[in-house]
Amino acid sequence: MTIAPAAVSAAAWVLVSLLLFLAGFCLLHRNLWRACQGFVAFALLMSLAWLVLGSPWLALAEALLGALLTGGTLLWTLRGRGALPRLAPVDETPRRARLSAPLRWLLILSWLGLSGVALVMLLGLDALSPPTSTSTLLTATGVLIMGLGLWAFSAQRHLLRRLLAFNLLGSGVFLLLAGVAAPVPVSMIAHLEPAPIAEVRALIFIGLVVALLGSVLGAALLLQLHAQAGQVTLTPMAPRHPGR
Amino acid sequence: MSPTPLHLLWLLFAPLALGLLAWVRPPRHSGLVLFVAMPLPLVALWLLLGLDDGPMAGQLALGPLTLHWRLDGLAALLWLLTQLLLLASALYAAGYVRTTTLGQRAYAWLWPLMGGLALGLGLIWIAADLLLLYAGLELMGLCAVGMMLLPGNAEALTAGLRYLLFALVGSLTWLLGIALLLGAWGRLDLAGMAGLASVAQPDPVTQIAVALLASGLLLKGAIFPLHSWLAPVHGSAWTPVSAIHGALVVKASFFILLLLWRALLPEAIAGAWALGLLGSLAVLWGGIQAWRAVGLKQLVAWSTVGQLGYLMLAFPLLAGTSAAVALMAWQATWLQLAGHALAKAAMFMAAGNLLLSTGAHRLEGLTGTSRRLPLSLMTFGLAAVTLMGLPPSAGFTAKWLWLQASLASGQWLWVVVLALGSLLSAIYVFRVLRCSFVEDAPEQAFRSLPLGMELIALVLALAAIGLGLAAGWPLSFLAPVGVP
Repeated sequence: MTIAPAAVSAAAWVLVSLLLFLAGFCLLHRNLWRACQGFVAFALLMSLAWLVLGSPWLALAEALLGALLTGGTLLWTLRGRGALPRLAPVDETPRRARLSAPLRWLLILSWLGLSGVALVMLLGLDALSPPTSTSTLLTATGVLIMGLGLWAFSAQRHLLRRLLAFNLLGSGVFLLLAGVAAPVPVSMIAHLEPAPIAEVRALIFIGLVVALLGSVLGAALLLQLHAQAGQVTLTPMAPRHPGR
Repeated sequence: MSPTPLHLLWLLFAPLALGLLAWVRPPRHSGLVLFVAMPLPLVALWLLLGLDDGPMAGQLALGPLTLHWRLDGLAALLWLLTQLLLLASALYAAGYVRTTTLGQRAYAWLWPLMGGLALGLGLIWIAADLLLLYAGLELMGLCAVGMMLLPGNAEALTAGLRYLLFALVGSLTWLLGIALLLGAWGRLDLAGMAGLASVAQPDPVTQIAVALLASGLLLKGAIFPLHSWLAPVHGSAWTPVSAIHGALVVKASFFILLLLWRALLPEAIAGAWALGLLGSLAVLWGGIQAWRAVGLKQLVAWSTVGQLGYLMLAFPLLAGTSAAVALMAWQATWLQLAGHALAKAAMFMAAGNLLLSTGAHRLEGLTGTSRRLPLSLMTFGLAAVTLMGLPPSAGFTAKWLWLQASLASGQWLWVVVLALGSLLSAIYVFRVLRCSFVEDAPEQAFRSLPLGMELIALVLALAAIGLGLAAGWPLSFLAPVGVP
């Protein structure tokens, strides 16, 4: 099935704005149940993005590992089964203290700055403003999603939200990885070989498996920690948290 | 018969298979473990001895995917070290379960995780492309986190969760670095990239990529500013797990970092100096924190932070120095790595034995151990000989080589760091010994331990000292300043 280039572009813009909206929704919503549902939708859209980028196997892996298993684990963590007490559905923990904010922002901005500079040098400024192809558009989106994920990971305390933030950060990195390696890069070095597509897919696949295992482990630990010590954050003195 | 790739494959997967077997029927006798797992280090030794006619290398094609691997003298030595330490730790674990009350299911889980760890470490030693390195690093990291969580109390869970979050973010940083490298070079195999890097000027994208890779690895390897997860995680972990983690897991990140640095930015002097300075700060900070530590295991963990700092001195001493200096620094690095791995495993086990039989967690609880537990205390002291760098241990030989290399290249700063680091390690070791030699302590009830647990630790500590006496043999397998 072939679509006219202009139609791809419009659909791609819709896809990208939906991805960004869902990323923000999933990271900012204090109702954890809603946030996890947002994550499932985000992962399904990511799978659509892989389909658009021409890798159906990766799309299948993302739908299966990302949406079904990771998203399912996070939702299951909230519902809670068996003897372990349930987590509260709404995150009541305050954000990190302002004291460490400058350091946090320095780290986030240097991460984003470094990857942005490298991206501009690899793809060229012309290709990025405005993005000329679907893959560059998705790469630039990847940087934005990384930014959101980094902010949420460092600012929030609730461990489930930090796991969500880690997953989104990972998705951003995957998009960037697919984007910089898929087209023939404009680079200073002359003797380049054809881009190793199979290796890129293998890297993303391993990344998805690691994200799944990390989320499952993290969620199981969170439930245990909640059952034993009644805390949902790393530091025990979360104020106003009702002990069960 | 000379080694073939099939033997490598066997050595990679046999520990995992044994681990799964032990998951079904967890072993409770050291003799059984010794009998079943003894072939692993023997095969590793045979691989090392079979490398007479140069390193082995090859490619493995999985459909469209090509994986590159390579087994040289260094990789074979590290693999042998890994198998020996895993065997020692498995033997110790079989005794440990009989003297402490561990959860049955948690103890069963120890074994497959240990097998996975062996597979991950093996992959890291023989990988020659970034894809295999990534797979090995992640497998090792996840297994290590899992092992740390086995105690299952709230303290272990918080420390383990913090470790998990750090490790996951570290792996994403590393993946981002790989993405940029892939964009700049269009390939993932280290030999090919090293070949290109030796003719081309390093471009900014490569520098950014290596900076990201390095920060991911520093995070996973607990090197100075990113070490905060290490001490809490060791405070609550089981002794055999702590021993493997302090001896091998953090070293693997350093190994990858040095490999990538030598391949991609061999001449980047400013970056190498930055890493060396971080290492110096690690030596000082780790020493000071170990001096101030309250618990014995925290003290040993902080001393790991300090000792890892020494390894970072390899970067400035290898970048842009003369061949003689680079050779000394190269040999010193691997000698320190192996010596510290043996000594740290011995020290964790000795500390675990002391804590187990006194039932104390703080240093003050060790009073009177000099009379009642002389063997464990002697093991602790012998392991400390290597850490302090006293002759004739491997630590001494390594520090001696580093001193010569720094003097010959005119990098005086590292001489000061080496001296201060040794002084600090002497201070914290004698703090432990002073507590244990207090005689007028109230009589406590000491638990007696199986002799095997004390002997394993003693053998490891003696091996670290013996490595200094017989350093010529392993060093003869090292290629002169290896460029992958």
